[in-house]
Amino acid sequence: MPARDLQRAVVRFGGLLRRHGLPVTVGELSDAVRVLDHIDIADRDEFYTALRTILVARLEEIPIFERCFNAFWRPEPAADPVMPGLITIPDGEPATPPGTPKVAGQRRDDVALDSWMSEDEDGETGAPLAVPAVSDREALMAQDFSTFGSEQLDEIVRLTIQIAKRLARRISRRRRPSRRRGPVDLRRTIRANLTRGEIIELKHRRRKRKKVRLILLCDVSGSMDLYSRFLLQFLYALQNAFGRVDTFTFSTRLTRITEHLRGRSYRQVLRALRDIRDWSGGTRIGESMAEFNAQWGRWLDRRTIVIILSDGWDCGEPDLLATELLRIRRRAARVIWLNPLLGNPSYEPLTRGMAAALPFLDHFAAAHNLDSLRALAGTLTL
Amino acid sequence: MEAAEYVTDAPVATAVHLAMTLRKPLLIEGHAGVGKTEAAKVMARMLGTNLIRLQCYEGLDAAMALYEWNYQKQLLHIKLSEGSNRSVDEKEHEIFSEPFLLRRPLLQAITQEDRSPVLLVDETDRCDEEFEAFLLEVFAEWQITIPEIGTIKATHPPHVILTSNRTRELSDALRRRCLYLWIDYPTFEKEVRIVERKVPGVNARLARQVARFMETLRTVRLAKVPGVAETLDWAQALTALHADHLDEALVAETLGCVLKDADDLKRFKAEVSTAGLSKFVALEG
Repeated sequence: MPARDLQRAVVRFGGLLRRHGLPVTVGELSDAVRVLDHIDIADRDEFYTALRTILVARLEEIPIFERCFNAFWRPEPAADPVMPGLITIPDGEPATPPGTPKVAGQRRDDVALDSWMSEDEDGETGAPLAVPAVSDREALMAQDFSTFGSEQLDEIVRLTIQIAKRLARRISRRRRPSRRRGPVDLRRTIRANLTRGEIIELKHRRRKRKKVRLILLCDVSGSMDLYSRFLLQFLYALQNAFGRVDTFTFSTRLTRITEHLRGRSYRQVLRALRDIRDWSGGTRIGESMAEFNAQWGRWLDRRTIVIILSDGWDCGEPDLLATELLRIRRRAARVIWLNPLLGNPSYEPLTRGMAAALPFLDHFAAAHNLDSLRALAGTLTL
Repeated sequence: MEAAEYVTDAPVATAVHLAMTLRKPLLIEGHAGVGKTEAAKVMARMLGTNLIRLQCYEGLDAAMALYEWNYQKQLLHIKLSEGSNRSVDEKEHEIFSEPFLLRRPLLQAITQEDRSPVLLVDETDRCDEEFEAFLLEVFAEWQITIPEIGTIKATHPPHVILTSNRTRELSDALRRRCLYLWIDYPTFEKEVRIVERKVPGVNARLARQVARFMETLRTVRLAKVPGVAETLDWAQALTALHADHLDEALVAETLGCVLKDADDLKRFKAEVSTAGLSKFVALEG
């Protein structure tokens, strides 16, 4: 096969990866082309590993890469039995574009997200909305999210972003003054005393404080549907204003959405999130927390605040939830549970899941309106 | 790579091969104890070159990774030469010269004279984001400027291997500049080969049983899933006890080599009391 064709195919393959969300760089592509001379391209496995090593940069990208690879570089039909593993150079786009197969039960969830998106689009393309006056805004702050109409969406989104940004600034600026002096910093001491010939003034080195990191675990099950849309907006804004945030959603299983929330416009984010399965299903908080601990538990340390956004309607084992929360609690600096139902004066945390979780929380607060989100700021500093 | 006492599979071999051909840093991720660090050692052995290790930790800064002046020696030198009539300029020139320079790993890696060393940046996820950015800068240029001496450019840029345990997400910038390799727990066959190679005198049947045991154990939900290092410790301990097969008493006695978390031990015991040990130890050759 002519080498140039293969090179072009590799470049096209890079394009396919990009369309499926892998941020393949030009440098990586040129490496991929360069490496063709150094590997046995007749060996499909070696070809696969080589491309993967170069074009993939994290574990989470491997499944996407694999789907794209299998769709793009189809094994040569068995007509040539001598070299069964040989790759064929695809002419154009793969016949069956790779993607998550749709499951019938997912229909409902798609609809839910679709409606958000269309509302969002209306807000961007439609006639300019009247800007609410100050008193209107105050009313908005106290209003429960679940009672908002779609015409108020724009304003609420704007306010949410504002709050998230202010929150982020506050977290990152906060420094605790410390009078204790660290070990002597010889480099700076010598520099400061060079002209004196004697060491007179000692310079000290103070250990740099590690910044706070947030881990957000957001319940997106059916019972939270009314709130999720706002909380998600909040998460999105918070993450983009404040670098050290990692965001997960859970219902029956846990999904890390940090990458999906990064950059891009909110509308694109919603589109990306639609592909995540299990949106608005039932809840299994305990299992989800266990999954978090197993996979991401190492991320927790004394500078990490874990925020769980959920109404506590748990269809799983409350005991499991308790064990897993304890595990998080042991490692993290603080565990905060935000429950939108808490905004209702008559609500008491009696659901089995919520009752099991309570002993392990540092803060248990409402998250049903903008005021409650604003009140969060106080609990987010260490 | 097998010749260098490292039992490998194709992906690892290919990735190391590519890292050497393309001369790009290789980022290796994987669970604790799957042999990430080992891969760097083997690469150094294969190339017949030095391994320079930079262990990352929180608060690691450029001074500790690059170079530092030997201040104690400088001060002493100033005191000793107090009576001499050399000028201040001369003295300063003297104490800011190579003999007073402490070479930290990165500078060492750049100033190798005969051939490219292997630079292992271990547990990269533990260092701060600022240091990560600094590393990127060094990798891009392979030159270091020391104000008092001048710019030192690497004549033999090192082969770089970075490892990460994923306690923190590394930046995209760093990831995209590196080749990427994920090392998973070994397959049964591979683990048997590792045990046979690394534990001299191990009974063949025992090796298979241990590997099978570990394979099953990793499917149980544990807080600290044992890695290959644990497998080897255990096989070594069992061999030292002259065991040629696993039985319940032996497992109970030596399990501390494998499970290092109180909850895990409890969970394992519960599992055994319900399902029996036969789930873990298959009755095979």
